[in-house]
Amino acid sequence: MISFHPTEEELAFLEVAKDFAKKKIRKVARTGEVNLKVNEELVEEARELGFLSLELPEEWNGLELPLISQVQIMKALSYGDLGIVQGLPSAGDAAPFYRIMHNYSQLQSVKEKYMDQPDYCSVLIDLCKTSDFATTELVVKRKGNNYELNGMTEPVRLARFAESVVLFAFDQEGQAVILLVQDNKWTVQEGDYRLGLLASGLGRLVFENCVVPANQVIVTGNDAEKIMKKVRTRKFVLEAAKQNGLMEAALDYTTQYTTERKAFGQEIAKFQGVSFKIAKMAMETRIVNHLMFEAALKADEDSQSAYGLALRALHRAHKGVRFVTDAAVQLLGGHGFIQEFPVEKWMRDAQAQVALYGRESNYLLERGTELLTSEGRVSVE
Amino acid sequence: MISLELSEQQKQIKEMTHWFAEHEIRPIALEADKLGKVPDDWLHQVNQMGIHLNTSSFGGGGKETSQGKKKKEREGNRMGVIATEEMAWGDPAVTLSLPGAGLGGPPIESSGTPEQKERFLSIFTNDKPRWGAYALTEPEAGSDASGVKTTAIKVNDGYILNGQKIFITNGARASWVVVFATVDPKLGRAGQRAFVVEKGTPGFTCTKLVKKMGLRANETAELLLEDCFVPTENLLGGEKLYETSESKPSGFQVAMKTFDSTRPIVAAMAIGIARAAYEYTLNIVRREYPKQGKYYYLACQILAEAEQNIQAARLLTWEAAWMADLGIANAKEAAMCKAYAGQMALDVCSKSLELLGPTGLDGHLVEKLFRDVKVFDIFEGTNEIQHLVIARRQYAPYGLRV
Ligand SMILES: Cc1cc2nc3c(=O)[nH]c(=O)nc-3n(C[C@H](O)[C@H](O)[C@H](O)COP(=O)(O)OP(=O)(O)OC[C@H]3O[C@@H](n4cnc5c(N)ncnc54)[C@H](O)[C@@H]3O)c2cc1C
Repeated sequence: MISFHPTEEELAFLEVAKDFAKKKIRKVARTGEVNLKVNEELVEEARELGFLSLELPEEWNGLELPLISQVQIMKALSYGDLGIVQGLPSAGDAAPFYRIMHNYSQLQSVKEKYMDQPDYCSVLIDLCKTSDFATTELVVKRKGNNYELNGMTEPVRLARFAESVVLFAFDQEGQAVILLVQDNKWTVQEGDYRLGLLASGLGRLVFENCVVPANQVIVTGNDAEKIMKKVRTRKFVLEAAKQNGLMEAALDYTTQYTTERKAFGQEIAKFQGVSFKIAKMAMETRIVNHLMFEAALKADEDSQSAYGLALRALHRAHKGVRFVTDAAVQLLGGHGFIQEFPVEKWMRDAQAQVALYGRESNYLLERGTELLTSEGRVSVE
Repeated sequence: MISLELSEQQKQIKEMTHWFAEHEIRPIALEADKLGKVPDDWLHQVNQMGIHLNTSSFGGGGKETSQGKKKKEREGNRMGVIATEEMAWGDPAVTLSLPGAGLGGPPIESSGTPEQKERFLSIFTNDKPRWGAYALTEPEAGSDASGVKTTAIKVNDGYILNGQKIFITNGARASWVVVFATVDPKLGRAGQRAFVVEKGTPGFTCTKLVKKMGLRANETAELLLEDCFVPTENLLGGEKLYETSESKPSGFQVAMKTFDSTRPIVAAMAIGIARAAYEYTLNIVRREYPKQGKYYYLACQILAEAEQNIQAARLLTWEAAWMADLGIANAKEAAMCKAYAGQMALDVCSKSLELLGPTGLDGHLVEKLFRDVKVFDIFEGTNEIQHLVIARRQYAPYGLRV
């Protein structure tokens, strides 16, 4: 039955997450940017509250929550600050991979780490995204049973803190392969980042004649491609949720601000140019929420349609977070542009986030191709 | 638990209405548009099948319950939006012309006395098609419904009504029309009353049927009230309702309250139209477009965006309907779904025409849908008015009225 009510359990978890976001995360947003990392105290608290291991399997000491619960929690946390949430050391974008592959023997070493160290940092490098091309190149060559890596990745978050790398790639023969790289067999090129998500450990990983032995080749071929798709589905939905949290933060902040700020003798909210923009921000925020919910529910069911819905949700979340954070800066006027107010940071973070997580128009293209070749109805499964 | 699954009952109603839309409504869509009306014998037939347009769900889903199964969650509003989306997918003008209380139903359901409900809502029987209508708009009062100028002067046993109503859906054919009038223009909103004026009442006439850009098969009437006597028992809610508190209930509130349940319905219709245009275009693109290159990519992007926007509107609409079913205040969500769906649907129709190219002008359903859909961003509150409602609710927690 159609319902938008969270469960009691979710509500309880959400209350903690919202409180943590407002009282803790929001407070350290600026210092995180300056220090280029999240302070350890906050990491410790997030870890204790379980926020670092929502996606990890129970066997790995994670909470293994359904995606529909996770998206609500990630949204609530990101309401505090997206930059901080993206900088929390954890399994990061590799978490869905660990969840799906948790009983693979090759992942035992990673499992052991996570058993008592949920802030152990993993990075997912996805070189197989059909819809993207990279301006830098990392070449993956099969040599017998081993693989050799040479080159540099594009910037990814958590690169500076990475202890394990999960790599999705095609080898020289076009075969899909998923590799696990450990033992710091890479260097990090830190670069000159100024736009946003500065606490998230942005960097590029550089591999030089890096050999990945056969026992760290996790899957190859068709199986690898299937797993990649599932991982991407979950990742897209989780990122959409985080972006939605940022949208909600910008909406609430701006709503309040425009009730207090006066111009021409009245609160600026009384000008329709202002209040209608607020109404549009509210609608966009709600829409992203709902599309993200739908994708999460389908992913939990392991439905065939989940990937397409995740593409759709993330596309809308990209568009939405750009629109809402820009509108927030706009409605604060010059105050929006300066760092005494949070909205300029939110707009920068939003833009950095969408740059990291896939090109908007490509998502649309990929989804469109899927619609043209499949059933294509706006149907309810 | 958050869920977007349809209940068994909802699935059934979706299937049934879709079947009806596909096999009964769609086949007459273009012809009805050309005729400027829905053929009478068709209306007779569907009325005999018991098919009505029901836009009110204050009492829960259709005729079910009243006794037993007390715990059953109400789902009338959700059923309503699911069903109307399907019907409007068939054709919106035909859907709006289906017999039934139409937009006149909600004010009677929400504010009528039990006797009035019985008297006015029980006439929709299978022997002959009948309609209800809702008349708020006047030449000088549209968005600003508080500006109603039609007067109601109290006399013995009733009221004398004088004024003009315009753009009234099914206004000429309706067996009764809910008419909003003021007992004292100086009182503003508090002076408003809602009356049920029955067809044939002396002094109550239809002066014109307007010709429109779209929705041509659906009647839009101008009504005139000249010294029209309406008995007290046709004052909606009865005189008692207005005595209980001087300032609180008024015809204005009756008018506004209905929007919370009718806006999701109107949004659902816009969604049905958008979906019809999208699916029609998708089929043509699949058949006739090249499979790669510039035009293929263009089509991919336009269609993916259309599909996404349709679902976005639908989820907003479901949320508003779900809230109405649970009795949660939903004015903001009802305005959101209406504002978004109205604009989105026009955009989808226009983009579909872009994909069809000049051929789309020649006898294709989509050009008709484009003409039909525009008004969904105007009636039941324009897009701007919906924005105003959303903004007001958004600012309410901060104690600021915008
Ligand atoms: C086909 C059709 C069927 C209809 N059916 C019915 C019916 O059954 N019953 C009925 O009562 N009415 C009906 N209507 C009338 C419809 O509800 C009104 O046309 C509508 O509410 C707008 O009113 P208006 O035409 O007077 O426009 P106006 O109110 O004159 O609006 C003109 C423009 O000003 C804008 N505007 C007005 N106020 C504001 C504001 N405060 N802030 C910002 N912008 C504002 C509007 O958004 C619009 O863009 C129907 C109309 C049509 C076309």
